[in-house]
Amino acid sequence: MEMKDYSNGVHPTWCPGCGDFSVLRSIQLAAAHLGIPREKMAVISGIGCSGRLSGYMSTYGFHSVHGRSLPVAQSVKLSNKELTVVAAGGDGDAFAIGMSHTLHAIRRNVNITYLVMNNQVYGLTKGHTSPVSEIGLTTKSAPGGSKDEPIHPGLLALSAGVTFYAHGFSAEQEELVELIKAGIEHKGFSFINIFSPCVTYNKTNTYDWFRKHLVTCEKAGHHDLEDLTSAWKTLKATQGLVRGIIYQKSDVPTFEENHHLTNNTPMIELPLEPTKEQFNRWTERFRLDT
Amino acid sequence: MSWKKTILIGGIQGEGIASTGVNLMKSLSGIGYFAYGERKFSSRIKGGNTYIMVTISDEPVTCVTSYIDIILTFDHETIQDNRHLLTEDGLILADEQLEIEDTEIISLPLTKLAKEHGSLLMKNTSAIGFLGKMLDIDKGVLEESIEKAYHRKGEKVVNENNQVLRAAYETRVEKLEMFKGLPPLEPKDKDLMMLIGNDAISLGALMAGCRFVAAYPITPASDIMEFMSRVLPEEEGVMIQAEDEIAAVTLCIGASYAGVRSMTATSGPGLTLMMEGLGLAGMTETPLVVVDAQRSGPSTGMPTRNEQSDLASLYFAGHGEFPMIILSPSTIEECCELTMEAFNLADQYQCPVVLLSDFNLSISPQTIPAIEYQQPVINRGFLATDQELKEDNADGFERYALTESGISPRVFPGTKGGIHKVTGLEHTVSGRPSDRKGNRVNMMNKRNRKLEALWDQNSVTIEEREGKILCLTFGSNWGVLETAVKEFALPIDIAHISRIKPLPVRQLETLFSRYHKMVVMEQNQRSQLAGIIKQEVGFNDKIVSLTKYDGEAFRTLEVAEQLKRWCSEWK
Repeated sequence: MEMKDYSNGVHPTWCPGCGDFSVLRSIQLAAAHLGIPREKMAVISGIGCSGRLSGYMSTYGFHSVHGRSLPVAQSVKLSNKELTVVAAGGDGDAFAIGMSHTLHAIRRNVNITYLVMNNQVYGLTKGHTSPVSEIGLTTKSAPGGSKDEPIHPGLLALSAGVTFYAHGFSAEQEELVELIKAGIEHKGFSFINIFSPCVTYNKTNTYDWFRKHLVTCEKAGHHDLEDLTSAWKTLKATQGLVRGIIYQKSDVPTFEENHHLTNNTPMIELPLEPTKEQFNRWTERFRLDT
Repeated sequence: MSWKKTILIGGIQGEGIASTGVNLMKSLSGIGYFAYGERKFSSRIKGGNTYIMVTISDEPVTCVTSYIDIILTFDHETIQDNRHLLTEDGLILADEQLEIEDTEIISLPLTKLAKEHGSLLMKNTSAIGFLGKMLDIDKGVLEESIEKAYHRKGEKVVNENNQVLRAAYETRVEKLEMFKGLPPLEPKDKDLMMLIGNDAISLGALMAGCRFVAAYPITPASDIMEFMSRVLPEEEGVMIQAEDEIAAVTLCIGASYAGVRSMTATSGPGLTLMMEGLGLAGMTETPLVVVDAQRSGPSTGMPTRNEQSDLASLYFAGHGEFPMIILSPSTIEECCELTMEAFNLADQYQCPVVLLSDFNLSISPQTIPAIEYQQPVINRGFLATDQELKEDNADGFERYALTESGISPRVFPGTKGGIHKVTGLEHTVSGRPSDRKGNRVNMMNKRNRKLEALWDQNSVTIEEREGKILCLTFGSNWGVLETAVKEFALPIDIAHISRIKPLPVRQLETLFSRYHKMVVMEQNQRSQLAGIIKQEVGFNDKIVSLTKYDGEAFRTLEVAEQLKRWCSEWK
């Protein structure tokens, strides 16, 4: 399988130079490298520029509602464990309207991968402040500059008990492909926050700006991926401007394991018609002795 | 000759009042009596007045009576609130701890016996003892129910409870001996069940093959998630307690898109949050089953009181226009049957189906003839055949093909040759976003067309008495209406509607031509169902509303009196 096998040929609506192109290519490359049959992959997206991504894959795709890619993605996976499920969305999806879903998806640890295409601004609404906009970023909704403390996705994810957390950068496509592959192969919820610059509405956090400020984990002195304290300290020290896998813990039980959904039969293949034995079991508590 | 006796057990919330009533109902149902329990409680854990009103009969009971034969209470408020409802020879029994000096009230050593023979908490058992003796129930029957209720707590608890029970049976209270117990039952081979509407809804869902439930706790719908959280793990399914109702409904949409029958259950405030999901399911043509157990609104309203005021917002649900079905069960049996049907309709018409229940229907325990096992009919609707899928479709399976019926072939992710897109945006036949005018109109018409046939299908069930007036209702009101008309021999026909959307327009037109007047009985202020019928069918001058919105269920007496007045007025 090659990258082009995962493309449906629809030309994205993104602006030329948008970081999201690289994210799309990286997902396609990761899928090709892993040899995932196209029909066994489902990409579930939210709303915003990023949300369009599911429409450009030649896999199953569900473009949901703003902030809700994770509720759809989790249940698709639980319904059919044979699918590789990738949820994708923007920083508005993940950290504003869908913030609570993000935290609860982390807690549940369903075996899916979540890609946040983070450009620190609302692009599709034509340039409004995002919950991860830096203080001072001038937007149409904050003409005097953003004044509220931005959310720190890494610290948030770590404190919610994330089992895989990574930072990618659209301009570092090779690395991004590897991160997505590692995320898909991780047992549990993998969360990849991708710096995907908006070339139209964010003139601060540009490609050059990220090239200048982003460091690798190695450079930041963070070597042990299972070391939560080191991960936390690295995120603090770099103000989140670090790339690579920042934290991974593989022995945490998944939602599927905790809820005994480890039978080999995917839920969609369970017979629908109940037997009399099942009926009797369900109604036993209502029965009365006469 | 059928008879009814009603007992109201009241006291302080959190002290086991409701379970005392439910245990008594179980004991009575176990020996063949029918019972119905109406619960009143507050939205708090402990404190405040609570009661359970139990009506007992030799025939199925679908509502409580308007009058009470026995009030048994552990607090003063129960007496103040309910004394006026006592029958002429009714009795008030109060715990002697209350130190009430009133010659009409009989003091019983409820707490005293509990403390002497067991512990304070067992005062409920001593209450059951006194009631059991008054009702002429064999002590052995109650001992057995104590064993069932407490065996998990150990032998000591069971023994002490039995000691308390015996002590209550052995205590002679002169004033109680006048009371006539329940008429003995003629021996009949009866297979009975006792359950609440929410249980029946859960059972219906399981019977329909539902294996995925996501919900957020809310009164009076929580029993469904509780039931499912016990059962689904045994069936390789799962119940997810979601972070909110938005997540709950969206999780269900995901499962359904992936091919698993899924359901969520909520009440008014949660329903408001689920509007987004209803629209998504409508636009993406994803089957969805939502239970709305209505309570008193708006906002948090009166969370533990009865009302049917979600109907209007549901009927016109969501922004934009999309097809949706609303089913409304009126009996416990219908809760089960219509839930099963809801899953079939959701799959057949690929749209949201809301099962509209209400507080009293959802949580009132009731004895019914046992629901028998029947192999259910499972209809998954239009699924793409292997033939249609044989090509290795890179992307472009026509999931939203324009068909005559408006219903297009479904295919689940994971299926070779079926790759397509799903989006909440307006889309083309293969699910790609499009805002072209022609496509928009085609797609709007296609979705709207799906339910056209249902407008012609009947959903009103009528009990005829050769009246000139028809009283139409839905939900728990039906049990009250049916009882009122029977008890007071009213010369009117009565009916309940099991599918409100699409409204059975043809059938209603026929009914309007047959009846002089149609009384629409509903629990809300603005006559929501009547308003919908007026809008869709007309006949405004024939429609009269009978409404109630004080939080209490309709009572047979008030219904009968009003209907009687109208009957003479419209002669």
